[in-house]
Amino acid sequence: MNMPTFTRDAAVRLVLARLARFGQELGQPALAMADEQTRLFGEASPLDSIGLVTLMSDLEGDIHKACGVWVTIADEKAMSRLTSPFRRVGLLADHIVEIVAATRA
Amino acid sequence: MPVAIITGSSRGLGRALAESLLADGWTVHGFARSPQSLVHPHFQAHAVDVGTEASVQAAVATVLAAGRIDLLINNAGAASMNALLLTPAATAEALMRVNYLGTLHCLQAVGKAMVRQRAGLVVNLTTVAVPLSLAGEAAYVASKAAVEALTKVAATELQSYGIRVNAVGLGPVDTDLTRAVGADKLHTLNQRIGRPQGTTLAEAVVFIAQEWSAPSNTTGSIRYLGQLN
Repeated sequence: MNMPTFTRDAAVRLVLARLARFGQELGQPALAMADEQTRLFGEASPLDSIGLVTLMSDLEGDIHKACGVWVTIADEKAMSRLTSPFRRVGLLADHIVEIVAATRA
Repeated sequence: MPVAIITGSSRGLGRALAESLLADGWTVHGFARSPQSLVHPHFQAHAVDVGTEASVQAAVATVLAAGRIDLLINNAGAASMNALLLTPAATAEALMRVNYLGTLHCLQAVGKAMVRQRAGLVVNLTTVAVPLSLAGEAAYVASKAAVEALTKVAATELQSYGIRVNAVGLGPVDTDLTRAVGADKLHTLNQRIGRPQGTTLAEAVVFIAQEWSAPSNTTGSIRYLGQLN
């Protein structure tokens, strides 16, 4: 049975929903206002390094719930890219769509 | 019912740990390359090569399909005794793959689940041969020293998620791993660690089980059996 395509919009929604939940946990309501341009690391990011690790681990669980597959977000490909997929929400969503498709293939 | 993963569970110490946890009411997932004969309603065997990341990830995904993971015991290990200058590089690589990379792969895969849970306990198996700098075991000692270093860093990185990571080091225990070692050498080593009578499998299990049987906030500790601490 063919699984429905995991769309970019769905990936963006997944990341934003997780950021909002994470914001509640951390007492950072600003995370609920995140959008595709929100930075995920660096000085302009609301997340510290621990926050970024937590976000990735939580997202892997969210992706499994949404798509039925376990993926590794921080894979070799992601780590070796010139433009890190972890820089902004939109780039992360692109990366998630790619690895979900690759895992299902 | 708490859930544990034990690597190297097909025989020896791993199997004894699995039986102990099952008797205490745990659900146990056993990871091993060899077929596993342990039969219990709350035991599930998984064919896993801990030295292969994909194999570990697939098995952990299967465990997670049933729920959470409360405890990971990185017990799978390989040993080889040889003089430093006569140790083939392939032997050193093989030991590092099972002892260090095996521990790393399981820690990464299970650690992510524990981060999502914001709780968990990881117990890594090391050896008294590390603090003793035991001659004739350079490759083995180096691989276990790497496990100890990994334990300390992992404890630091994962503490804020409510995850504890500790290591326990044993001397010779009567298992397949030590069966090839000469009696004289075992006796000398047992004397050095203040246990001339040696260590039974049951004693080793009780020592390791202190990690989860008593409430504790300790993380990043390396506990050795015998008079080494």
